[in-house]
Amino acid sequence: MKIDIDGKKVVVKGDKTIWHICDEIGIKIPTLCYHKSLFPEARCRICLVEMDGKLVTSCSTKPRDGCNIVTKSEKIKKARRRNLELMTPHAPTCDIDDDFEVCKIYNEVGMSNTRFEKIKDYKPDLGASVVRNNNICINCGRCVNVCADIQGVHAIDFASRAHNEHVTPYSEKRLAEIACIRCGQCIMNCPVGAIRERSHLDEVQKALDNPKKHVVVQTAPSIRAALGELFGMEAGTLVTGKMVTALKKCGFDKVFDVNLGADMTIMEEASELLKRLKNKGPFPMITTCCPAWILMMEFFFHDLLPNMSTCKSPHEMLGMLTKTYYAEKSGVSRDDIVVVSIMPCTAKKFESTRPELESAVDYVLTTRELGRLIKRNNIKFTKLKDSDFDPTLGLSSGAGAMFGATGGVMEAALRTACDFATGKHLKKLEYKEIRGMKGIKEGSITIKGKKIKYAAAHGGANIRELLKNKDKYHFIEMMACPGGCIGGGGQPIYIDPDVLAKRTQAIYQADRKLPIRKCHENPIVKEIYNKYLDKPLSEKAEKLLHTSYTMRDRF
Amino acid sequence: MQILRETKLEALKKARKLGQKGVLKILEKKALVGRGGAGYPTAKKWRKVIETKSDEKFVICNADEGEPGTFKDKFILKHNTETMIEGLLITAFTVKAKKCFIYLRGEYDFLRKKLRKQIDDVVKRSGMNIEIEIVRGAGAYICGESTAIIQSIMGFRGQPTYKPPYPSVSGLWGKPTVINNVETLTCVAQAILYDDWDPDVRLFSISGNIDNPGVYEFNLGVKMSTIIDIAHPKKKLKAMSFGCFGGIMPIDENMRITPDTICREDCHHGAYSIIFIDETNNVVDISYSIAKFYAYESCGKCTPCREGTIRLLNLLKKVRQKKAKKQDLDLMKEFAEHIQETSLCGLGKTAGQHVITSLEHFPEDYRNYMKK
Repeated sequence: MKIDIDGKKVVVKGDKTIWHICDEIGIKIPTLCYHKSLFPEARCRICLVEMDGKLVTSCSTKPRDGCNIVTKSEKIKKARRRNLELMTPHAPTCDIDDDFEVCKIYNEVGMSNTRFEKIKDYKPDLGASVVRNNNICINCGRCVNVCADIQGVHAIDFASRAHNEHVTPYSEKRLAEIACIRCGQCIMNCPVGAIRERSHLDEVQKALDNPKKHVVVQTAPSIRAALGELFGMEAGTLVTGKMVTALKKCGFDKVFDVNLGADMTIMEEASELLKRLKNKGPFPMITTCCPAWILMMEFFFHDLLPNMSTCKSPHEMLGMLTKTYYAEKSGVSRDDIVVVSIMPCTAKKFESTRPELESAVDYVLTTRELGRLIKRNNIKFTKLKDSDFDPTLGLSSGAGAMFGATGGVMEAALRTACDFATGKHLKKLEYKEIRGMKGIKEGSITIKGKKIKYAAAHGGANIRELLKNKDKYHFIEMMACPGGCIGGGGQPIYIDPDVLAKRTQAIYQADRKLPIRKCHENPIVKEIYNKYLDKPLSEKAEKLLHTSYTMRDRF
Repeated sequence: MQILRETKLEALKKARKLGQKGVLKILEKKALVGRGGAGYPTAKKWRKVIETKSDEKFVICNADEGEPGTFKDKFILKHNTETMIEGLLITAFTVKAKKCFIYLRGEYDFLRKKLRKQIDDVVKRSGMNIEIEIVRGAGAYICGESTAIIQSIMGFRGQPTYKPPYPSVSGLWGKPTVINNVETLTCVAQAILYDDWDPDVRLFSISGNIDNPGVYEFNLGVKMSTIIDIAHPKKKLKAMSFGCFGGIMPIDENMRITPDTICREDCHHGAYSIIFIDETNNVVDISYSIAKFYAYESCGKCTPCREGTIRLLNLLKKVRQKKAKKQDLDLMKEFAEHIQETSLCGLGKTAGQHVITSLEHFPEDYRNYMKK
């Protein structure tokens, strides 16, 4: 098919919309309701272009053969501006803290103010992880679609009609009262910041300002692969050293690495797997590093309760070790220690409030909140020199680093489990079949003559799909967010899905760069077991590093 | 009235004898077009469904008549139900559908019990193996739109989706689906059976400031003065409205009613409904009522219609409160045109017509409200 775009002849192959054709030839058409990973709904009417003189939405319209498309004209600009004016009388403020998608579009269409008055008057909805402000919502529907189509949770949808149409949890309840898994993918898709994380920044700042408090910060594996994006760095840039320096400059007393917690998790989890192999079940054993997945199980899959590993998530393990092992070792009173986790995740905020966990983590900040903290401290992040984690709880293996990517927990666990089972130091390190962005990945390995089948899924909808065949497997890794933690709901907001692949690359690069690549070879892990916990699944380890789950009602 | 002629299952018998191709041929010859508003040739619509390969096909009878001032489908549902059901059976037979839906307007629920009985009776007598389900609308005007009706039947929010794909290719559950309204289906049975069936006859719903409101039958091309004589207004007429979508036009007694004269350019000419407005009314008040209707019935999906209709309503309110200035009228006109130009479905594309036409034809009425 031959068409004409802005006076240029373009040959179109395949069944594509005008938006995609333009995207491929480098013409960026602004849009609010369309996201590459979602099905186009043509709600916002910002991506208007002219096809043969008529305004059409480029996200949903396929060109006619020989048609003439104009993407820039006064008519288009005016129409876009009017739609923006209609939908954003409650416009978000675009300051240095936040750079919403809509702010860029304000500039593109040249809109500074709206001729209409504010009419919306909704109460804000404050959850433990996610907060919503319907007054600035523009009804683009991306949060609704990602919740339903990508996450398979269906926690929120539109209600009412005409100008009363608004996004709401079902039955007009509050987020805290419904089967929301707190994954935060809605935040990742909100172009105006109407859905955001529940910020703990002020509380953390208070603790930092209190000289009596010994504030310890621990950073998740995936933060270092994404934090740089908030400061204009290329996606996939590893900023481990700069991140540690920045945290020290912000005033944290110690900077620990959750990768070590991941190593500890693997020690426990691999041992648990071997125990289950010995006891012949229950299978499949399912990982519990992802708090959003745990919530999903607790809301929707009650029969999986015995299948869940009892291991706490890595940052909870490390937080507990900080308040016990580290407190003893350093002589700081447990009551004076404040543990702050930097997580790619909003569900972790909820996790730290679970009663059955007796969490040692006091506050959870997302990657975005950390970015804000750094900016508020006027730190020139890109100019920072590298520094290292605090050695007490800061040395980790490459296996721990991989926790940030989908399939990473599985791969790390297999490295250790195979060594444990055979008692040998196996050469096989990389399990390529469970890497990458495919929704469901699987593989098998033979340990001592027994075939172990394993699988990994990321994104709630894929989790649901995988669970249909769960009985085939012995070991399953579940991550609620697309791409695993690198695509978590607390990460820098991205528009292009390719960003996930770049962040994943950085994670694997971090693994390869480290001298130790198996969790059980980490000297600090060895020391913790030798001096403190005895051995994996010991009574003390069970008490400190394991937890239980509850069944939750959806209504 | 032609629409009241009963076919007594003879049309179905004839259709079965003619076969699929025969039925399409006869409908083409009789030039039957849809009576829902768009005037699309019925045979062409069915042919598309027939040509689309699928293991399952559906037929929907659109009985969600919701246009203000339109009540002709109710008339048929009350007085010639069996012929309508027969038309539905012929459609299902022709496109080889095993399941049909009648999407009944929520406000017509009082007809449902009797309709159910008549369906069971006609289906039994026809000997066809077919299921007809009545789906009750929940009171949304937009669900009369072909893609919204599909969403609603499938149990989703009644909101339109963009076309293509058209329902005839991908409708209910992604399967090819015929959607015809009550009048069209009744005409299907009649056109097949009666050689003297006249394709130019249309049902008119007449209402407003008149003595004789009701459903009438006229041929296309009928002169407005003829209709006014029958309608019998008490006072001098000032304006007329072809449903809400047509806006408010000055009375033109010499106008001949055809799709082209009702509908300039390419708007939907709708179901022939005429609301007469006499000189005691200020057109701004009429426009305000219509704006209320749109601000209530917009489904909320796309920005211009969702946010724009309430703005038009608020601006008209301002006019009626005598607070409006010239720039408010300009803003009204600008956004009325903008809503029409950039909305997703037919509702939005006509939602500003009443403002545009009233500003154009009745500036005096606005001036009356602007006087201090």
